[in-house]
Amino acid sequence: MKFAHVFAEAFRAMLANPLRTMLTMLGIIIGIASVVLMLAIGDGIKKFIDKQLAVLGSNLVLVQSDTRKNVGARLRSGSVQTLTVDDAQQINSLASVGGAAPMLSTFSQIAYGNANSNSQVQGTTPETFKIRNLRMGKGIPLSEVDIASASRVAVLGKKLAEELFYKNDPIGQTIRIDNQSFQVIGVLDNEGQSFDTGDIGQVVLVPISTARVALIRTPTPRSVAYIVAQAKSAEQVNDMVADIEELLRDRHRIRADDADDFRVVNFGEFAKQGEAIGKGLAFALGFIGAVSLVVGGIGIMNIMLVSVTERTREIGIRMAIGAMPSDVLWQFLIEAVAICVVSGVIGIALSMGLAAAVNATGTFELTVGMRAILIATLFSGFVGVFFGFYPARRASKLQPVECLRYE
Amino acid sequence: MTASPSRAPSTLLEVHDVRKSYVTNLVSTPVLHGINFSMLRGDFVAIMGQSGSGKSTLMNILGCLDTPTSGNYRLNDREVASLSRAELAVLRNQTIGFVFQSFNLLKRMTIQDNVALPLIYAGVSRGEARKRASEQLAKVGLGEYGQRQPNQLSGGQQQRVAIARALVADPPLILADEPTGNLDTKTSEEIMALLTMLNRERGQSIILVTHEPDIAAYASRLIRLKDGLILFDGPAAEGLHQMRIESSEALV
Repeated sequence: MKFAHVFAEAFRAMLANPLRTMLTMLGIIIGIASVVLMLAIGDGIKKFIDKQLAVLGSNLVLVQSDTRKNVGARLRSGSVQTLTVDDAQQINSLASVGGAAPMLSTFSQIAYGNANSNSQVQGTTPETFKIRNLRMGKGIPLSEVDIASASRVAVLGKKLAEELFYKNDPIGQTIRIDNQSFQVIGVLDNEGQSFDTGDIGQVVLVPISTARVALIRTPTPRSVAYIVAQAKSAEQVNDMVADIEELLRDRHRIRADDADDFRVVNFGEFAKQGEAIGKGLAFALGFIGAVSLVVGGIGIMNIMLVSVTERTREIGIRMAIGAMPSDVLWQFLIEAVAICVVSGVIGIALSMGLAAAVNATGTFELTVGMRAILIATLFSGFVGVFFGFYPARRASKLQPVECLRYE
Repeated sequence: MTASPSRAPSTLLEVHDVRKSYVTNLVSTPVLHGINFSMLRGDFVAIMGQSGSGKSTLMNILGCLDTPTSGNYRLNDREVASLSRAELAVLRNQTIGFVFQSFNLLKRMTIQDNVALPLIYAGVSRGEARKRASEQLAKVGLGEYGQRQPNQLSGGQQQRVAIARALVADPPLILADEPTGNLDTKTSEEIMALLTMLNRERGQSIILVTHEPDIAAYASRLIRLKDGLILFDGPAAEGLHQMRIESSEALV
């Protein structure tokens, strides 16, 4: 009963001076919006990474050639091709491996009629479609027959197909890759960024055998640039990495005290790095939020002190007719908390608006979750209690006689 | 609150050797030098005195807004001098209804809520408090003004509201500090008629602090203060007569 009354009074006091209340609230609004956005960005980055992994294949590792450490001159990583298609096949038959695809890759000029583009061309096997979640928008994927016969066929990324063919059907058309003719047999449906090709929409996939004879010179007839391997499950990724390392050391006859001539890159680690960047960004926002909450809180303390002085007579009247010091304390404390909580609600609404604006651009998804809303509300309440307590206590300590004399 | 006619009216308050000094910069300034009087329930007492006489200090002590430096003050069978701030607040809430010179209604609050406020502080529910506030407003003739704001009312009406607020918790004592100081003669008469009616018909005990003899004349008993001591304590008519003689002597 008393509390309902105190809340009603707090809102009446806020509305008595709307401009001042609004300006006071601004710091808290910005602070709370920052905190909510911080949490939304943290969640958003995690979701973004999960989505990328889901689109481009999850539980993947990349096995790259590395410079032999026991060779005198160190060469750039990847410039020596120690891996072969046989390595890929052996990796593929490991128990922990769901699939493995050997890759060759180069940048080539792709031309069709007058249209041309510089794109990444990857020579690979049909396994790659499976382990990297590649879906066909049109036509068919590469087949084992294409590999065996080194067919001059190509599967195009969606964007590249649109660039070259506009609205015409690319299937069956002949394009030129580095002035060699290839027949388009399929167009991918995937969008997004891939870890090794960049934009998946711009890629050209050809049989690895064809790439070797027509496009990419390799040190040996069986060399590959790298191998992409997929674990059977997320839990098996680390086992798979160990299995691959053991297998390749054995196959490459590397002695126990020599270093590997290959490198296994775990994309889960990349995801972790992405999350770390996200955390850093979130931390920066959290810091801004914390600073504006403190500054906003000081603003509230200041305004509450002014308010206590302005309402000295009112305090005197209330005390004369029976308000206990604790009643006065609660009145001013609840008023400060109400200002903060209303600011918090506005801050949450503001962050939702900003999140919606970011979402509308389509590059990144921000969701303001219940957790963020709850944390923000509690936080704003806490700021109110912390900075409202001193002015409220001061009001409650006033002497009724002095207050009634105050003009 | 009607005084029972079957037995003699009991004592409402008793002031015994009350002294008050204000300490500023280690210098103690005595204001009250030992005040003694008692008041029966149903009495109507006017306290007069010039500025500096200790009138306001005595009123603050009687109103439990301040405590004496020494001496005893018993109000409604409770010793006031030793109470804490919170206990004093409860005592004021239950025992005293204040009527001030400047009305002292709270702005931005309806008339009804102003009158209901003492009940809210007493812990009465909002609905019940508002209901009783409306009844009390009707009794002072302002039943239709409950939803107005204080600044929409005339001075006389505001003072009636203040009286309604003072009466709403049914306190044994009304303490009116210069209740007509901000009002014209005609409105003053109306307010004094209302207070007199409350005293006569409902046996309401009233202490009236004033400097105007015309207003003090409504009371039945007069206490005059001078330099922190009681100069006169007796029937109002006699005291006022004595004052007129004093002032005519001063003119001569």
